[in-house]
Amino acid sequence: MSEISSNLRVFRRYGRVLLPLAGILLLAQGAAWVCGARWDLVFKGMWSSTTFLAQLLRPDFSAFADMVKPALDSVFIALVGTFIGTIVSLLFALMAASNIAPPWLRQSVRFLLGMERALPEIVILLFLVAALGLGPFAGVVALAIGSVGMLGKLIADAIEELDPVSIEAIQAIGANRVQVIVFGVIQPIIPSIISLSLFRFEYSIRLSVVLGAVGAGGIGLELYRSFVILDYGRAAAALVVTLVLVFLSEHASGYLRRKIKGEGRLQ
Amino acid sequence: MIEVTNISKALPGGKKLLDGISFTVRKGEFVGILGASGAGKTLTLRCLNGLLKPDTGSVVVQDQDGSKWDICTIAKTRLRQLRRRIGIVFQGYHLVQRLTALDNVLLGRLGQISTVRSLFYGFTDKERAAALSALEKVKIGALAGARVGRLSGGEMQRVAIARAIFQNPALLLADEPLSNLDPSNAKVIMKLIQPLAQEMPVIGVFHQPEMTARYCTRVIAIKQGGIIYDGDPRLTTHQLVDIYGEELRQIENPPILPTGEAAVLTRNSEDNERNFF
Repeated sequence: MSEISSNLRVFRRYGRVLLPLAGILLLAQGAAWVCGARWDLVFKGMWSSTTFLAQLLRPDFSAFADMVKPALDSVFIALVGTFIGTIVSLLFALMAASNIAPPWLRQSVRFLLGMERALPEIVILLFLVAALGLGPFAGVVALAIGSVGMLGKLIADAIEELDPVSIEAIQAIGANRVQVIVFGVIQPIIPSIISLSLFRFEYSIRLSVVLGAVGAGGIGLELYRSFVILDYGRAAAALVVTLVLVFLSEHASGYLRRKIKGEGRLQ
Repeated sequence: MIEVTNISKALPGGKKLLDGISFTVRKGEFVGILGASGAGKTLTLRCLNGLLKPDTGSVVVQDQDGSKWDICTIAKTRLRQLRRRIGIVFQGYHLVQRLTALDNVLLGRLGQISTVRSLFYGFTDKERAAALSALEKVKIGALAGARVGRLSGGEMQRVAIARAIFQNPALLLADEPLSNLDPSNAKVIMKLIQPLAQEMPVIGVFHQPEMTARYCTRVIAIKQGGIIYDGDPRLTTHQLVDIYGEELRQIENPPILPTGEAAVLTRNSEDNERNFF
């Protein structure tokens, strides 16, 4: 009797951890079986990737000069795409905010923005490449459309959080609709608009590298091309440039956002 | 002059928020509206500039040139025109925090200039000078270039008053202009508002009967959506208890303890202090 109860206690103590662990292992085994993953392949891949990494550690320094223009292209694609996206998303945000737009408009615009967010930027770019041809322009438009889905919703949420009296205060002066929106709605949320679009810019930089490979040009295309022609030294150079680009853009945007936040605070 | 006749407002369920409120305020009067929280003071004030439409009744505003409008039945564009002549100072300070004090004052004439001009802050030098003199009237001309977000509460409320003055209004409304202010700043604000009554009717909602007794020319008390007192601003304790309820009497006149009990309290005063504060 006491033996059974002590076994039960041991099971209670460890079962809480062991049962889920066994479940996870079983799931992983099943997934590996479905995908065709095998341990011998893993070791083989590790071996070949070490030699590959060794090659990558020797970047082709002469190629850096060729990387400057593509890198700048990528930055401009992200910058212009995000900028246009912010302007357009502001219009959508006004239509998606409950304190400005009627419910039917708000619901339909929010639905539209949700649909956009569900669509990956790469898919948008593939459509655009078919329509506009290869090149940075397709990339700019793809990033602009991509920004609208995210920024439109976030800015609309910021508008909805506004104190209703700040809008009424402008109405009470006798201002017309446009003036109320500019001075009662947009003015107070300018810091959050800038902060949100800077955040989106960080994301756009990383995305512009991926989109570059698919057809927008820039550093992503350079990276992709070097890999295809097995010029790993050149690929390593492109990779270093990409890393620097992403690192710098994230720090610049983080610095600016902290500045803007600090300005809103009382001294 | 503003003439309020029998305004009522009810919730869809039938609960009456305002019940037949009537009063007339002329130039030269500084009216303080008193009442407990939720009595309908702010609602009444919101009816006076059309932010809220009452179910019945009329609010007629008469401009200096003799023209009259009923705010409750007026068309939307006409209401905007009329609002340009109604200055309002809000509870707290609802200014655009990012703009300078001067720009905030200039916003007072938003309704009087074209949309395009307002978007580019295209105010004339004459308007800027007038805005600056409005700021000087409330004695913060030196802060004209400072961002409103960095000003103190009292300074922000002064900017709000300067904005109302700059509007050159035919009527001035103030919704709890003294909330968030310390007593001395509250006095300063009352002293600034008081002289404006010589040029236009001034109506304010207040929570400080001692302030309205000192500065207002007339007090209207509202209870459960109806007027229970209209007249001399110096209210008796009995009248104040009528307005705010029995609890007020206990604050105003603390119960006198028999000597024996008082002695016990004094002996334990240290403990009591620790418990109470």
